[in-house]
Amino acid sequence: MGSVELIYMEYFLHLFILICFYTMLSQSLNLSAGFAGLISLTHAGFYGIGAYTTAILSTYYGFSFWPSIPLAMLISGFIAFIVSLIALRTVDDYFIICTLGIQVILFSIMNNWMELTRGPLGIPGIPSIQLFGFSVESKTSFPLLSLLFVLLIWFVLRNISRSGFGKTLTAISEDEIYSQSIGKNVYLSKTVSFTLSAMLVAIPGTLYAHYISYIDPTSFTVNESIFVLSIVIIGGLGNLSGSFFASAFLVLLPEALRFVGMPDSIAANMRQIIYGLILVMVMMTGKNGVKELLQPIAKKS
Amino acid sequence: MLSNIQVVINILVTSALYLLVSISFASIYYPVKYFHIAHAAVITVASYFVFLFANQLLIPFSAAVVLAIALASIVGILFDILGYRPMRKKNLASLTYLIASLGLYVILQNAISLSFGDDTKVINTAEVTVGHEVFGAYITTVQILTICVSLILFIAVNLFLHYTATGKSIRAVSSNPELCNIYGISSNKIILIAFALGSALAAVAGILSAMDTNMTPTFGFNLLMYGIVAMIIGGVGSTRGLLAGSLLVATAQHLSAFYLDTKWMDAVTYIILILFLIWKPLGFSGKRLKKVEV
Repeated sequence: MGSVELIYMEYFLHLFILICFYTMLSQSLNLSAGFAGLISLTHAGFYGIGAYTTAILSTYYGFSFWPSIPLAMLISGFIAFIVSLIALRTVDDYFIICTLGIQVILFSIMNNWMELTRGPLGIPGIPSIQLFGFSVESKTSFPLLSLLFVLLIWFVLRNISRSGFGKTLTAISEDEIYSQSIGKNVYLSKTVSFTLSAMLVAIPGTLYAHYISYIDPTSFTVNESIFVLSIVIIGGLGNLSGSFFASAFLVLLPEALRFVGMPDSIAANMRQIIYGLILVMVMMTGKNGVKELLQPIAKKS
Repeated sequence: MLSNIQVVINILVTSALYLLVSISFASIYYPVKYFHIAHAAVITVASYFVFLFANQLLIPFSAAVVLAIALASIVGILFDILGYRPMRKKNLASLTYLIASLGLYVILQNAISLSFGDDTKVINTAEVTVGHEVFGAYITTVQILTICVSLILFIAVNLFLHYTATGKSIRAVSSNPELCNIYGISSNKIILIAFALGSALAAVAGILSAMDTNMTPTFGFNLLMYGIVAMIIGGVGSTRGLLAGSLLVATAQHLSAFYLDTKWMDAVTYIILILFLIWKPLGFSGKRLKKVEV
């Protein structure tokens, strides 16, 4: 391979890894937003908690990647549990506003607690992942590792959605009072799904930190939360493969725009305008995701 | 070090601004009952219109402001006609509107970024004012203007809602849109008026804020969130609550800036919101937040 092809290859693999990250993020959010109906804007914060946990553990204390995954999940889950105790006192719109508030608080902590997170300076020099004595940093091994985690999370979420617990969550999101009347513990199920979803989101957070090797708070803003939520909604609430296709579409969209000759500076904004438009269209028709939006068109042709 | 009087002045100016934002948001929220987040982009777009007219096209400043307010009002009306009105026919959950409005916000905010760039812009108001000295503290002309305009508009909106036919119709739609339709008040028309009014008020708030400090394509979002927090704390459904809410938010922000650091202002604001949502979900007054009314 010539050096130009090598650069292209690395670039494609980078895009592939991004798709993996967003698939994990959106599928995990789908557990609370799609199945339980808890539309949360805090998930970029939990993603950040995952990334910061592993960054701090590996650079300050010399932890390796593997123990920091469960630790990051525990910390994220613990915070999510407390958040759910607070946020679940509110419903619908107020729940979103409440989670938005918590997202801002989490960002504020990452951005301002200089002693722990170094604030806007970020944490550099996060080591690469070690696996059986090998370092997972080459451009081919990392995509494989992320793919492995995508499949793992996908498998776990698919099983949850088909289990009795998943059915309970769907019932709650459709009719809360009715589910309560047939003896389902609504509050507990919501808390568990929200906490579990935040724990899963911490996994792509840890992977992201080791992949990019430098993290700062700007990756975990409110806008990132809105973006991940849009992926879930465009892919369809409760639709796991929909989240995957929506992630792939939204990651590749700016590349496609660049391909048709749009300059970089415009492509970034155009991507957001396009996902905003799709989001509005999906919401305006009251359909669940683009798949349902396109169904009548597919039938006609 | 800031003097105590300076802190008090800052609190007054900030709460006047938040009051204006929260009235503008509430005058739309009360009749429609969903969070119109795209309102943030209306706040932003108004001040960019002023920038476009006054700084780039060199139209006289007062004319530019009037034009910008009118255009922002039209943007609000377009949001309603193109976005929300088709949705109202379908009887969707209020969550759906909130997410749609997030989408609308993303579209308009990026359109602003595309046309003007992401860098910080300053609306030039001829002379750079050092400010007037009051008891050893400083207050600029724009800040005095903010306080006056905000109070006048607050009183005017209250009078409008209570003593004019249109205002009473808005309140009627706020309490029961279906009954209004039966009595021959078109709720669609009233909501349109509410959007026009709210967006114009938001434009005033945005322009005042941009003149006082400066602006980026995202500054409206934070401003709107503070306004919403003020509305929730004040108690949804009460106009006097807005006054109390914005005073509380502004006081908390400036005291945290004074005793802790300016960087914790955001966090403190939302911690207050969360405390209110836990212990006093009614706000100072107002309606209970309930999932289902059987």
